[in-house]
Amino acid sequence: MDALSGLAMGFSVMLTPANLYYCFLGSLIGTMVGVLPGLGPLAALALLLPVTFTLSPIAGLAMLAAIFYGAMYGGSTTSILVNIPGEAASVITCLDGHQMALQGRAGAALGMAALGSFIAGTLSLVVLTFFAPVLAAIAIRFGPPENFGLMALGLVCTLFMITGSKLKGLLMIALGFLLSSVGMDMVNGNERFTFGITNLTAGVELLSVVIGLFGISEILLNVERIVQNTLVAERIRKLLPTWSDWKASFAPILRGSGLGFILGIVPGGGPITASFMSYAIERRIAREPERFGKGAIEGVAGPESANNAAVAGSMIPLLSLGIPSNPITALLLGALIIQGIQPGPLFISQRPDLFWGVVAAMYIGNVMLLVLNLPLIGLWVQMLRIPYRFLFPVIVLLAMVGTYSANKNVFDIWVMLGFGILGWLLRKLEYDIAPFVLAFVLAPLLEQSLRQSMTMSVDGAMILFQRPVSAGLVAASLLLLVLMVIRQFKTKRGDS
Amino acid sequence: MVERLLNLFWILLGSGAAWHAWTLGLRGPSGPESGLFPFIASCAIAALGLALMLARGSRVTRPDWPDAISGLRAVGVAIGIALMAFGMDRIGFVAAAAIAMPVLLRTIDRASWLETALLTTGSIAAIVLIFGRLLGMPLPRGPWGW
Repeated sequence: MDALSGLAMGFSVMLTPANLYYCFLGSLIGTMVGVLPGLGPLAALALLLPVTFTLSPIAGLAMLAAIFYGAMYGGSTTSILVNIPGEAASVITCLDGHQMALQGRAGAALGMAALGSFIAGTLSLVVLTFFAPVLAAIAIRFGPPENFGLMALGLVCTLFMITGSKLKGLLMIALGFLLSSVGMDMVNGNERFTFGITNLTAGVELLSVVIGLFGISEILLNVERIVQNTLVAERIRKLLPTWSDWKASFAPILRGSGLGFILGIVPGGGPITASFMSYAIERRIAREPERFGKGAIEGVAGPESANNAAVAGSMIPLLSLGIPSNPITALLLGALIIQGIQPGPLFISQRPDLFWGVVAAMYIGNVMLLVLNLPLIGLWVQMLRIPYRFLFPVIVLLAMVGTYSANKNVFDIWVMLGFGILGWLLRKLEYDIAPFVLAFVLAPLLEQSLRQSMTMSVDGAMILFQRPVSAGLVAASLLLLVLMVIRQFKTKRGDS
Repeated sequence: MVERLLNLFWILLGSGAAWHAWTLGLRGPSGPESGLFPFIASCAIAALGLALMLARGSRVTRPDWPDAISGLRAVGVAIGIALMAFGMDRIGFVAAAAIAMPVLLRTIDRASWLETALLTTGSIAAIVLIFGRLLGMPLPRGPWGW
């Protein structure tokens, strides 16, 4: 199936009232999550994951993906109007966006952020449409050894995602690995680390872990400090940028789109890195770099385009290879696994309806977000007035009901609370918890494919090196590992 | 101090888990056994815990611990969640939430009793309507049937 007929199929799948409704709902929730400080897209996705269980896979995935890119759109509103980033990828937008608002140009900043996001999102979706199937066509010949190589590569790439102390990041990966082995061994039925607790036989529930680590720990951190929002603009006027705004922003939008898309594909990249790098590039190549930080529209257009393009980029390794490149796509991978779908090389050929449906949903969601973010800006401004003390108990209730919904088991809520407290402690001690989730999701797949490879091999582990693709992937993993060690060594020597 | 205790916990967790994984068997006739992967992960946890204990560079110089009042708020939230988890099986979702929500609301910013009552009723009703009715998810019921 070629890309265009695939896309047509995707639109035919998506254009039903129910699917459109869930795509709209995801866009709405995503924007809300982006606008409200204190609840990031990761926590929101974790909290809303259970809602998707009762939906069809396409409706559920369309909704979750919409929350992801909706948050990227919405995050800029709070950065510009309140000078508090709604989510991490919008931190950099505070610098010039808020300055523009202080100069009475909040409308232009908000308009450019939304339009730049729309252009970047659409451009990167076009590339996704044509690139992902090509990658999947190559990967379709993969067997267990190649899958092992792929998972090993994914896990090694996780190392590049670690922020802060590498030792702590590595420990989180090992902990994710260990925790994923709790429960019944799917190969021979042995129980591992269950200690006679029946609730652990099926393993530790992914949902309890992610809601606890990201949702509850974030709430615990937020309630320590009550954030007071100070709006700089009551009424937003002139949302459409002027011709001179467009002239200044056109090239930054294009550069941001390309950069964001590439960084989205690269493991450890993603929207946050993309927005920071885009800002750095725009500032470096600007004729008057001193304007940056004082209300330069390029400082809004570039980063906002980059973080949206990164969303589409990060969907490529997820949907075509089954490798998440950041914690949010790891959650999306978890959502698919919970739905009984295994994304990977065979995903596009086995479930073209779902793959193309998600791509179509992202095109549709992009348009919905433009509508939500421009004419409805007043609504989001009003939402910024809701005190956090009223929001968080509702979020807690949602987290509890969501966790309970997975297995209808209160034990999962205790697990969630335990991971919430652990997440709070780990974040206080500057542990990066994202690699933990990636390892938790990838480790069972890695273990299973290695053990399958060994069963079908007559030469033991040599099978991994006898097949060219798996040998290449394992070699690439080892090479990346060596590169990382060298880089770490150089950094250490530079420091001393 | 807390960080050192946590590092010690990693070492103990890793060592204990490695021992347990060893008892599961590491290698069998057809390759890795159930214990191999968890054994590797456990050894890594113990080794990294030890490395963190020894490496000063990885320590947080000034952890952002909350002051007494802020800390109490976080503890209040944790107690609220625990109360609800404890009550959900026994008295049902509605009653457990009706007890836990005021704890949560009054913990944070001393919401007035009227605000507390309104928000508790509103959010419970919304969740029962959305999850229980619209999404068809069976929420735990108490001995009185709701």
